Amino acid sequence: MSQFLPILFATLIAGTPLVYAALGELITERAGVLNMGVEGMMVTGAVVAFAVALTTGNLWLGVLAAMVAAGILSLLFSVLAITFRANQVAVGLAMTIFGTSLGSYLGKPFVGMALVLDASQAAGGFAQLPLVGPLFSAIHPLVWLSWGLFAAVWFFLSRTRAGLALRAVGESPTSAHAIGYPVVRIRYLATLFGGAMAGVAGAYMSTVYASLWTEGLIAGRGWIAVALVVFATWRPERCFAGAYLFGGATMAQLFAQSAGIGVPSELMSALPYLATIVVLVLISRDAALMRLSVPASLGKPFDPQG
Amino acid sequence: MLQLNRRNFLKSAAATALLAGTGLPTLAQGEKLKVGVIHMGAISDTGWEYFQAQAWRALEAEFPDQVEVTVLENIAQIQDCERLFRQLSTQGHQLIFGTTFSQYASLKKLAPTLPNSHFECCAGIDAGDNLGVFEGKHHEGTYLTGIAAGRMTKSHVLGWVGAFPVPQVIYSLNAFLLGARSVNPDVVLKVVWANAWVDPAKEKDAVAALVAQGADVISGSPNTPVQGLAAEEKGVWSIGSTGDFSAYVKTKQLVSFELDWSAAHIEAAKGVLAGTWEPTNRWRGLGEGGFVKMTTSSPELPADVAAEMATAEAAIIAGTLNPFAGPIKDQAGVEKVAAGAVLPDEEIKGMTWLVEGVQGTLPGA
Repeated sequence: MSQFLPILFATLIAGTPLVYAALGELITERAGVLNMGVEGMMVTGAVVAFAVALTTGNLWLGVLAAMVAAGILSLLFSVLAITFRANQVAVGLAMTIFGTSLGSYLGKPFVGMALVLDASQAAGGFAQLPLVGPLFSAIHPLVWLSWGLFAAVWFFLSRTRAGLALRAVGESPTSAHAIGYPVVRIRYLATLFGGAMAGVAGAYMSTVYASLWTEGLIAGRGWIAVALVVFATWRPERCFAGAYLFGGATMAQLFAQSAGIGVPSELMSALPYLATIVVLVLISRDAALMRLSVPASLGKPFDPQG
Repeated sequence: MLQLNRRNFLKSAAATALLAGTGLPTLAQGEKLKVGVIHMGAISDTGWEYFQAQAWRALEAEFPDQVEVTVLENIAQIQDCERLFRQLSTQGHQLIFGTTFSQYASLKKLAPTLPNSHFECCAGIDAGDNLGVFEGKHHEGTYLTGIAAGRMTKSHVLGWVGAFPVPQVIYSLNAFLLGARSVNPDVVLKVVWANAWVDPAKEKDAVAALVAQGADVISGSPNTPVQGLAAEEKGVWSIGSTGDFSAYVKTKQLVSFELDWSAAHIEAAKGVLAGTWEPTNRWRGLGEGGFVKMTTSSPELPADVAAEMATAEAAIIAGTLNPFAGPIKDQAGVEKVAAGAVLPDEEIKGMTWLVEGVQGTLPGA
């Protein structure tokens, strides 16, 4: 048991950035917008959050700043891809390149500085609660807030009218437009939300996970988030599980290596990807259902005048 | 801007022919030596590229009026590096530095076609007509830090976070354990490969995994402060291996050594300025003009351990102590180096086996 508790904790820590980024991207894609710029938005979010948290000493200001910074990038993406109807894949890739470079540029003065924030302080008043208080102080608030985000996303998509409207826009923007939904505005909001969540994911990486900024910090996690959404067949619960599966497999392979289990380390490094793909493909192996779950207008620009 | 017309073209062609006739060009009186450096990563990585950058900074400081350094960083693609090496050379850079082993293969191919420049590459196999290579004996540094780790460990378990299982990393970690075992024969070393040169988050996870397995002194090869910070968070010692991170790791960095390439850069520039540059293959460790330098130690490091390290350092510099002196067995218990023998340099440079007491695997092993 003493072996598994550290793995469990580490899994929570490793899976959290993916939960944020993937759930944000899921909302964006359910509205029919394919944002491939998550990686770049995470990098920019990570730098901005680190810079703000370091100068103000306040984690939450950092997270907020990351949401704003990544939100601005996703706004730029929206203007190009939604208003001007440019190719979403191309604009998304451009955002990744731009966001990554912007992050390196902004991050220059902060390289190698260490951020020391007291996690129990971040939990604030919650740590004083009876019974669950110790849990709140042991697990970083950004971790349990991600559970709240999952619940909110799930509830929003499956139980609210606004969620239904969002899904309608993703399935058939023309029909949604015809019955009076503001397709463009909904897509903007969904993309902004996705961007802001990528910002939180980046903020988590630099302020909580690594507690520092260096180039290469995000190391492709934005792409993992985009892939997770696809393999999770655009379902929030599968996305959530997939993020932890990936995080858990990453941790398990490192623990297995240090425990001296004799499996080649390259194979072990590939394990998280393999495990996530295999499991998610298995649970969504019904091809017909799979086709149905793809938002029908994903990646297709919509012209309200056309 | 030089105008390209027939006359100018003929002039420069004649000049080139003249230069080609006399071998490598020398500098005219009062002309600045143009030095080019290409970094594949960002200088701000706090690790490998940072220390490469420290070298040309030292070069600029040494010859403020005689050299002019052009630096290109973050050139991740080797094809871009090749194009830029050519460009630097045709722009008249007479001394050009490559900073990684990946660039070595390109330079090996390019250097003969660019006879007007002197090339130097950090990490490489052998020198060419106008290509010199230099690399550090990392194992001399890790052997000494291993002594400190072996003395300070309470659990007798050390941890190593490896980037990729390349010989340079393998001989570093082997020497680390040999150093530790020279003072504490019960020590074992657990190894975790990140399979990434830079992935700070994964390094942090790897440290957590090692600490969970009982390791109480952490060292490694992907050299950012992340490992040290992660170890500090867990309350265990870390070692600044190929970089001194005491500025970041305030309390729990035990000892550290740095790779200092200043001597390589300054010697090369001196050679080119004087017209005496020779393509050489330098593999240097500790000592004057060396590439490995011991740096700060924690105030908590006991004086007798520090003295023990200093004695070993002096012995290595004097040549009386070789980290890879026999008897050395590999993981399977097979004798690799007999008692009284030392492992030849070539075999250290190409090392693909782990010493007895290392717990971890290598690819294909």
